[in-house]
Amino acid sequence: MAESVKVPAPEARYVPKDRESFFDAQRRNRRATWRISILCLISAMLMGIPLALVVTPLLYAVGLIVADIVNYFAPLPAVFWQLSAKFAHFGIVAFQWLLQPRQQHIDPATLVVGIVVMLLPGVLLSMFLWSAIHMMFQRSGVGGALLALKAREPDQHDLKELQLANVVEEMAIASGLPAPKVMLVDSLGANAAVIGTSPQDARVVVSRRLIDDLNRDEMEGVLATLIASVGNGDLHIAFRMTAVFETCGLLAALINSPFGPQSRGVLWRILRYSLTRSSSADAAQEAAAVAEMLSRSAEIADDDINTFFDTTRKKSKLHSILIFILFPIFLTNFVIKLSLWFFSATALGPSLALLWHTRRFLADATAVQLTRNPDGLASALQKLTHEPGDIPGGDWASHLFFVKPAAGSGRTPDRRQREVLAEAWTMADANPSAAATPPAKVDFAALQAQFAGTLRAAMGGDEQAQQKLRAMYHSVAATDPALAAQFPNPDEFFSAQGGGLSALRRAQVARKTAAGLSAPSRDAKKKDRSGPSVSLMSFHPSIERRLKRLARMGAHPDLKAADPRTWIVGLVIGLILSPFLIAIIAGFLLLISIMTVASITFLLVWMAFIHKAFTLLPHATGR
Amino acid sequence: MSLPVIGILAAIVVVLFWVIGSFNGMVGLRNRVQNAWAEIDVQLKRRHDLIPNLVESVRGYMQHERSVFESVTQARAQAILAGGNVMQRSLAESALSSAIGNLFAVVENYPQLRASENMQLLQEQLTSTENRIAFARQFYNDEVMKYNTMQSTFPRNLFSGMLGFSPATMFAGAEADRAPVQVKF
Repeated sequence: MAESVKVPAPEARYVPKDRESFFDAQRRNRRATWRISILCLISAMLMGIPLALVVTPLLYAVGLIVADIVNYFAPLPAVFWQLSAKFAHFGIVAFQWLLQPRQQHIDPATLVVGIVVMLLPGVLLSMFLWSAIHMMFQRSGVGGALLALKAREPDQHDLKELQLANVVEEMAIASGLPAPKVMLVDSLGANAAVIGTSPQDARVVVSRRLIDDLNRDEMEGVLATLIASVGNGDLHIAFRMTAVFETCGLLAALINSPFGPQSRGVLWRILRYSLTRSSSADAAQEAAAVAEMLSRSAEIADDDINTFFDTTRKKSKLHSILIFILFPIFLTNFVIKLSLWFFSATALGPSLALLWHTRRFLADATAVQLTRNPDGLASALQKLTHEPGDIPGGDWASHLFFVKPAAGSGRTPDRRQREVLAEAWTMADANPSAAATPPAKVDFAALQAQFAGTLRAAMGGDEQAQQKLRAMYHSVAATDPALAAQFPNPDEFFSAQGGGLSALRRAQVARKTAAGLSAPSRDAKKKDRSGPSVSLMSFHPSIERRLKRLARMGAHPDLKAADPRTWIVGLVIGLILSPFLIAIIAGFLLLISIMTVASITFLLVWMAFIHKAFTLLPHATGR
Repeated sequence: MSLPVIGILAAIVVVLFWVIGSFNGMVGLRNRVQNAWAEIDVQLKRRHDLIPNLVESVRGYMQHERSVFESVTQARAQAILAGGNVMQRSLAESALSSAIGNLFAVVENYPQLRASENMQLLQEQLTSTENRIAFARQFYNDEVMKYNTMQSTFPRNLFSGMLGFSPATMFAGAEADRAPVQVKF
């Protein structure tokens, strides 16, 4: 008993009681990856069932039409028709049983065959599309979008950039991997990402802002995480993940192709891309564009369908007939989109996000193994919480970034804002004669590059550059206070530079509140950019949780103790809302199943009609 | 063939496959360990190549600190001479490390030199080289740990010796590094 009240030795106080070794943390996260991949598989199957149920009859219908047309010109043997009738019988029996499971007794073997008949072609088609997409993007890699940026190589004569290149090499040595290529982006956001398909062609993209804001230890932590993630095989996982979402997009585009030129355009572009064999930067850009299109193709399809079935427009007779013929596909299309949306938002998206969370934690634990310095990574994470940034053009691959890119910080200003900014820039120029003649057409991209250069100089302590930025800020603030609020006030900012983290945070808070007060138009383009597709969950784990785990491995972040009241409030709200949520989910499931049944029935009737129509036609040789 | 015979045959096949698998795994790890060892050498070589540069760029500023340069160049020559002998080599390398450390301590006395851009770049290169050597050693030790654990855990320890695997030695710091640091005012 006397031992239990022993005062801990002084050094023991600096070690958390439940300290975990990074090897243990890695093992734990690896096991979690397995568990969650099973979850992902299950949710993919959940999503696949309604899809396969709907797509399969469609495939049969297409097959039947083709067979009928062939039969019209060159009669197929009777055995073929007998076989397909038998085949269809199994499916119909199983379908009937699905509708009224109690009232009919059927032989289990027949049921199994029937279910296989109903599901297999759809499943095969999705698998085929998935592997096709996989092969297609293999060449260009996951983050082709980032390659499209104006990335440059680090300058060996700039101290900070040399440091970056060195840190990358050091981390590659520490992990025993080939050193990835480093690319720098001059952007306002402070962030970094790793892209590629394999450790051999991995590339690290770092924004210049990041290396300006972080010291060597912190930089080491960030790059260790990225390189550890390469070593753990995350590139592969990310690639597969995006391929899943792209498959959904391609499926939607395929189903929509009879309706609209836009979907056909998407398909055509994909086909053209997959047939060209070049690996230049153009190809990478094209890949990025195609990937972007695939992740948006559900929206495009909407447009197409709405134009097609627009009842207010005047239509030709042919068009009305077409509508009549294609109506079942319209229904099918709707079911597919609904179930894609519903399941990817509630099941597949969150489970993939969870999977990605464990990969991030694993990368953090591996980074600690590489640097043996959890504090460097923790302090980098804390700094970037206050200054998260977006690398422009990287929206699509945002899950590959080190921290979640802040929505809105990297968005491009609209035309009026551009004019204001350009004017302020010329006004701030020391040379008055240049300001007197405003350029007819403002080259905003060049201006941005100039601005980034000046900002960098200002960060490095160049008085003239700082002066210029101040002048520009005040000029913008005079014409458009809302726009100015989106940028940090240079006065505060440069004083914060010297004062370290706390001053920086103060500047940030001031900036955030200012932005919130005066810029109601900010969320005009609010889009969930946390993952490759819609998901209720972000693909980035919260920084607090990452910090907590780092603290367990020996870091000393200044974490605020969680307020128990927020927990209770959250619990109560959750308890109140959960019945509604369950009801909504159940409603959606019911809707999807009803629509599925309806769509299958419609398709069956449609098939019967068309088949009948063909048999009524006079045959070339008669049957 | 009766059921037990088939069972025994299947068990033998499974064990055989497992032995083959772990043999290949150990060979792979052994190669990784060797590779990691070679990487340390590469990084040490890099340091040797950087030193003449360093001495050249500093010499002009510090005419009367001759002894510091001499100790650095001498330590470098010693390290290159030591060649493949691991014991002598590691002693010479740690002597070189401390000589470079000394040189940088002296550079601190020359603010003009310290602030020069060239010097900063060079200092970064040397810092990085020291880091690289440390990380290469760390990686080597991690790989040795994996390799040794794989060999010496049951049941692989029963046959790893027979197949010609022996535990690799970790890279330990030189005795001189362990001596307590003396601070003089």
